[in-house]
Amino acid sequence: MTFVLIPVLIAIAALRLWMRRRRRQTSPRSSRPWLASIKSDVGLVAVREMRERFRGRIFKVGTLFILIVVGAAIIIPALHNNSKQPPQMIGVVGTSPASLRATVESSAKGVGDTLQFVAEPDVQHARADLRSGRIDLAIVNGSQLVIDRPLAATNSSVDSQLVLAVAKNVGITEALQAAHLSRAQSETLAAAKALPVTSIQPGKKSSVNSTSLIGVILIFVMLSQYNTWTLIGVMEEKSSRVIEVLLSTVRPIQLLTGKVLGIGLVALAQASLIVAFALAVSKAVGSNLTHGTAPLVLVSTLVWLVLGYAFYCWVYAAAGSMAERQDQVQSLALPLSLPMIFGYIMALTQASSGSPTVLLKILAYLPPTAPFAMPVLVGFGAVTWWEFLCSVLISVACTFGVARAAATIYRRSILRTGGRVRIREVISPAR
Amino acid sequence: MVPPSTSRRGRSNPQSPGCPTLCNLCPVANVLHLEGLRRRFGTLTALDDLSFDVPSGQVVGFLGPNGAGKTTTMRAIFGLTDLNAGVVKWNGSVIGQSDRRRFGYMPEERGLYPGMLVGDQLSYLGRLHGMTSTDAAAAATEWLERLGIADRAKSKVEALSHGNQQRVQMAAALLHGPELLVLDEPLAGLDPSGIDAIGEVLAAQARSGCCVIFSSHQLDQVEDLCESVVIIDHGRLMVTGGVDELATSGPRRLVVRVDGDRSGSWATGVAGVTISEVKGGEVRLVLDDDVDSDSLLTLARGAGRITEFVFERRRLSEVFREAVG
Repeated sequence: MTFVLIPVLIAIAALRLWMRRRRRQTSPRSSRPWLASIKSDVGLVAVREMRERFRGRIFKVGTLFILIVVGAAIIIPALHNNSKQPPQMIGVVGTSPASLRATVESSAKGVGDTLQFVAEPDVQHARADLRSGRIDLAIVNGSQLVIDRPLAATNSSVDSQLVLAVAKNVGITEALQAAHLSRAQSETLAAAKALPVTSIQPGKKSSVNSTSLIGVILIFVMLSQYNTWTLIGVMEEKSSRVIEVLLSTVRPIQLLTGKVLGIGLVALAQASLIVAFALAVSKAVGSNLTHGTAPLVLVSTLVWLVLGYAFYCWVYAAAGSMAERQDQVQSLALPLSLPMIFGYIMALTQASSGSPTVLLKILAYLPPTAPFAMPVLVGFGAVTWWEFLCSVLISVACTFGVARAAATIYRRSILRTGGRVRIREVISPAR
Repeated sequence: MVPPSTSRRGRSNPQSPGCPTLCNLCPVANVLHLEGLRRRFGTLTALDDLSFDVPSGQVVGFLGPNGAGKTTTMRAIFGLTDLNAGVVKWNGSVIGQSDRRRFGYMPEERGLYPGMLVGDQLSYLGRLHGMTSTDAAAAATEWLERLGIADRAKSKVEALSHGNQQRVQMAAALLHGPELLVLDEPLAGLDPSGIDAIGEVLAAQARSGCCVIFSSHQLDQVEDLCESVVIIDHGRLMVTGGVDELATSGPRRLVVRVDGDRSGSWATGVAGVTISEVKGGEVRLVLDDDVDSDSLLTLARGAGRITEFVFERRRLSEVFREAVG
């Protein structure tokens, strides 16, 4: 939690300092109308974007769909884990001394099962009950186990484990008794615990890894969705020619900033809703999503969703300003999405593998892939707070550079109609 | 410079003739000043040292053949195209963003958000021009009513007909009460009632002291609507002046119809008189300055009964053709 809290605290402190400095700068002068107008225009554009997106059917249906998928992804495994196995019915033919019962119960406990003994009058009845499924296992005269179907070599179900454990332990108990050990000695030996085994490499943290996987998928889906919105939104403003009306009163950078800000806030709202929903559902059903470092991974996912959007939105907006038709958008979107797809696949693979590689650590510092790689590293607990902060700062610095370049491309190409604008036409300094 | 003039339809110019700048007598005396505009697109020269003024209180027609540079000029006013040289001024100062907020613009290629509600769209555009949300909503309602589409406020723009979309676009240019109205082809594609509605709005805006300039290829309508015109070709200024002034400039033109002399032989050989056209008994004469029209009337009377004897104004289309070759 430290390496999320510290950057957040630093960001809040920096923001407060900046606001105080601005207040000091503005107070001697009565007003700065141009600054107010810039803020107001960006805000107006952002609010329009948000309102139109929130109103849209795509947003409503999409959010509902994601919530259903996330809810199912949490609830179904939790229900599966929490569901109480019915007790294993053990038929007993003949006498069943307390030592035998104790051995059987101990074996059941060892495989995480519960038991219920059923007295069977004879073997025939026991066989009939086995066939009908009324009992799972029959112990005949304390010396023979009978089951309905033979055990498969690869069978690892609870039932099979129970049968094997009972067979082994009852056999051992009999052998101990045959060795004329006292009951107490036999029970002590029967209750022997296996030695604890420790490994040098850390084991899989399944709950954290599943959270990382969900986080990476969420980031990829949302970045793809919202960057496409930005791309198409800019293209539509150009193709519908409303851009000329807007730019007659608003500066290109204001319009662009308002647009990406509005869509970004919609994305953040949707992501926050999904994360809050996921946490609430997991708490309600007792999922392991709220245990260990999983909440940290979720917070990290949100942080990198914002940073990832901030980085990519400018690129997509610049690309949108160069297109005028849907087919042009598609040809532009594919190369832009390649770094995202690469980062996504790498992060997904690493999250599933159980241990981070050097490549993942490198990708966590590259702004195009960091939104996918860094949350996975956080999930592994393989990153310190200052490494996290370092990656955030690199991403923020690169975002400023990308935004600057994108604004230039946008300004030069948004009013150029009559076909797709080529990148070399807008980056030439001699224009 | 486009001179201040008095409308042929009796509209008075709120700016005193010859008034150089703002003064106490003029309620509004804004001037748009374009000075030495140059714009090249590769090898094409779109604007070539173009200069003219647009005074307030007039509807100014901005004319020129296709590719003359009209749209580029209008875009230059709003900073939508980079200029290689020249400057656009508003009341003597280079136009800035805050000035443009007080201007209204209707581009040649109409542009609105297709999926947005008409009322919302107008309110949004009004707010971008600095209006409060309440004022913008009220102005949107008012302009939709004035333009006859009040019932479409809750419709999406894409659901409107072309003509109604054009009216919405017009409302978008007007709702913030602009000081300068720049309209690129506002009459294109409109039916006669639409043209009348837009024409009335433009005249009212000019009466209220707004600078109005619009481009059009419909010269008859321009002649009816405008007090002044600016004609450009190949990015250069060809002609500018009041419509009345241009119509009456040059040699006098006389149309005479005489029963019994449909060929106009009575005027043949008269010094200083040239027969320019004879059509259906109507004889068009071009008179030198020293020709006395009374003596011509006497001559015509001698040839037969006069059924028509009228001095003719030059049509704007003739002025245009002469200007652009």
